Amino acid sequence: MSYAYLFKYIIIGDTGVGKSCLLLQFTDKRFQPVHDLTIGVEFGARMITIDNKPIKLQIWDTAGQESFRSITRSYYRGAAGALLVYDITRRETFNHLASWLEDARQHANANMTVMLIGNKCDLAHRRAVSTEEGEQFAKENGLIFMEASAKTAQNVEEAFISTAGTIYKKIQDGVFDVSNESYGIKVGYGGTAGPSGGRDGAPAQGGACCS
Amino acid sequence: MHEPDIHDLSDDADYAAASKQGSSSMSRTDSSKRSSSSDPEDAEIVYLKDNVTIHPTQYATERISGRLKLIKQGSSLFMTWIPYKGQSSNARLSERDKNLYTIRAIPFSDIQSIRRHTPTIGWQYVIVVLSSGLAYPPLYFYSGGVREFLATIKQHVLIARSSEDANVFLVNNFQDPLQRTLSSLELPRSLAKGSPSSSFKGTPSDERLDKGTLEDNQLSNNIQQNNRQRQKNHDPARDISIQVLEKFSLVTRFARETTSQLFRESLVDGHGPAEKRRNNWASKDHQRQEIASNDVDDDVPKRVPVASDPLEFEKLSLVWGQPRQHPLGLEEWSTFLDSEGRVGDPNALKKRIFYGGVEHNLRKEVWGFLLGYYSYDSTYAERQYVVSVKKSEYETIKNQWQSISPEQAKRFTKFRERRGLIEKDVVRTDRSLSFYDGDDNPNVRLMHDILLTYSFYNFDLGYCQGMSDLLSPILFIMKDESEAFWCFVSLLERLGPNFNRDQNGMHSQLFALSKLVELLDAPLHNYFKQNDCLNYFFCFRWILIQFKREFEYEKTLRLWEVLWTHYPTEHLHLYVCIAILKRHRVKIMGEQMDFDTLLKFINELSGQIDLDPVLRDAEALCVCAGENGAASIPPGTPPSLPLQDGSIYQQQDDEVL
Repeated sequence: MSYAYLFKYIIIGDTGVGKSCLLLQFTDKRFQPVHDLTIGVEFGARMITIDNKPIKLQIWDTAGQESFRSITRSYYRGAAGALLVYDITRRETFNHLASWLEDARQHANANMTVMLIGNKCDLAHRRAVSTEEGEQFAKENGLIFMEASAKTAQNVEEAFISTAGTIYKKIQDGVFDVSNESYGIKVGYGGTAGPSGGRDGAPAQGGACCS
Repeated sequence: MHEPDIHDLSDDADYAAASKQGSSSMSRTDSSKRSSSSDPEDAEIVYLKDNVTIHPTQYATERISGRLKLIKQGSSLFMTWIPYKGQSSNARLSERDKNLYTIRAIPFSDIQSIRRHTPTIGWQYVIVVLSSGLAYPPLYFYSGGVREFLATIKQHVLIARSSEDANVFLVNNFQDPLQRTLSSLELPRSLAKGSPSSSFKGTPSDERLDKGTLEDNQLSNNIQQNNRQRQKNHDPARDISIQVLEKFSLVTRFARETTSQLFRESLVDGHGPAEKRRNNWASKDHQRQEIASNDVDDDVPKRVPVASDPLEFEKLSLVWGQPRQHPLGLEEWSTFLDSEGRVGDPNALKKRIFYGGVEHNLRKEVWGFLLGYYSYDSTYAERQYVVSVKKSEYETIKNQWQSISPEQAKRFTKFRERRGLIEKDVVRTDRSLSFYDGDDNPNVRLMHDILLTYSFYNFDLGYCQGMSDLLSPILFIMKDESEAFWCFVSLLERLGPNFNRDQNGMHSQLFALSKLVELLDAPLHNYFKQNDCLNYFFCFRWILIQFKREFEYEKTLRLWEVLWTHYPTEHLHLYVCIAILKRHRVKIMGEQMDFDTLLKFINELSGQIDLDPVLRDAEALCVCAGENGAASIPPGTPPSLPLQDGSIYQQQDDEVL
């Protein structure tokens, strides 16, 4: 299936916060409470449309345990967007956000768009982190913020798509040199290589059917 | 532009030569030659420290001491560590082992970070991590000097303390804003090259300028790729590698080429290797072509290497294609046991299991031997006794966490964290299997209890994700809590380092894997090298949990019992990795997969791998690699035994919360 752009996303956050469930809800529109824990990394993909352009999201779902950080870091390379996830019912997953963010800042490119997600908002009765705290953290660190539920699908679609919207806008604004794939963006058919690429009429690079 | 090559093939040739001659003096000459040639003439030694030692195994007699130097040449800084000559008193520690660890003039542009460890008891040591993600073994400073070492580096190279861990010093870190600024001001040569993972924007255009041959404006990856290859082809070091290849023992070389050729064919048309092989023994010229050919991607599918000597064909057919046998059954099993239940010939048993596995209903008994829970010379009665003694021992350890009251747990964060993690993970392990499915499944509860008990049995290692994957099949087979626990303990004696916090067990296996691929499939190795894939992280899951996620459950059980025979090597799993990679080498290189694409491709092989042919290939590769293969695997690489004094987990102590 052809796309105008392909964005690489990475999902990070403590183990058990629901990273794989968010991905599955987004790609397959279902909630699977029972699935194997992630070892290393898993992949998902879905097409979305922004500004009438087909955009493919290639999503990397990573293992959350601390011991695997050294390997998780190698996956940041070339990610255009990151979903940083915590569990609103477990305070410690919120407390670890700063360290995740630091990892991301250190190993990803500086223009990576980071979306902070407070997952499991369907479990409001067990809430341990207030919405305001999430907002505050996001504000302090320049992140987009949403509370979501992989179980009820609330805000899942929005989280992935609004991240893509932000990335798309950055392309339009010429923030990225999209011919450089280290930004996590591949240009397919029908996409333009940003303002400068368009002006020079450079042919779009990158496969249209890249998986 | 000659870059010092840490994976120089000359290593392997030296090993081959040394082992052929059986003479340690020969390799001694070699290493002295090397050490002098690695100190360039206009170089200045800016740091020198004696008695810097590595500990390849836990045995004090097997430590290797040497001299660590920092050498400044021009604007570049190099590090060397050369073991002392002839100091070894231990037979297991050959000159070859020393060569394996020797660090010959590694430029700091190839180093990603240096981690300092300052345990309260024992020597300070550092771990040097390369840009490729591989790490050298810890260097212990017996005479002190870590601080001075780092200070000297700081004088010559931009290093920055990691903000997340004060003991990690980042080298060439262009992601760090400070370094980025500094490097844009100074651009010393060693930094301008950048690390592979760096997103340093200047690199592609600099490369183009260097070449001078490219006039057009195309920036496509392909062109850069070809460029890089062209450059490699004219690299003098590469020419040396080719000559070195010529020096390999003939059988090994022949085997290597034939192996890769056979893999290629079985990939292309699915024909059995045997009949294809016969068609291909024709001209010697092709073989030359194989050796002389540098152009990795273009030539791969076309090359037709052939044997130069019919005698070698005979030799090879002896090792090739041993068909898989039917699994060991009850009747045959009884022939391995004497009247009191001892296994008379453990090696014959292991060999038998290696070639065919074990019938399902025998697994419970046989796995106990393979994993080391039972000793081969035990009688039926002794085993019964072991089971009962071990059962009460298990209960004792289990009782340690069971007796923690909720009140006490409130003040025991580490315990609560571990328990929480295990609770979360056991319900995410093999739940699609009827043995573990459904709510309140008692087997899931058993898995939980065993893992938590293990984390008390080995508190330093604790619990790490992946362990439940290793336990699941064992519990499924043993069905008994205590027996499953002790079998799991035995397995983790070998695989525990996979779960070390600093990942040193994984690093050493990935390092050995890269060495083996270099030996057995140089074009593929070069491809990975050119595409920043040398860290082999795409094989991470394979190795961490012994291919558990790559095969259906029953096949995993078969693979594991085969691996556990340690016949013909303890490290068959590495050859299994290579066998799988080789089956897809044409696709990997033909489609110019980059790291991301490769990782995804390998991930998606899950469930697509045919076990029996891969096992045959792995065995053949192991036999082909022979001594050179064994020499590529550093002593102590998991699953090698034994790591007895417990200090392998010490590194965790200074990091635990």
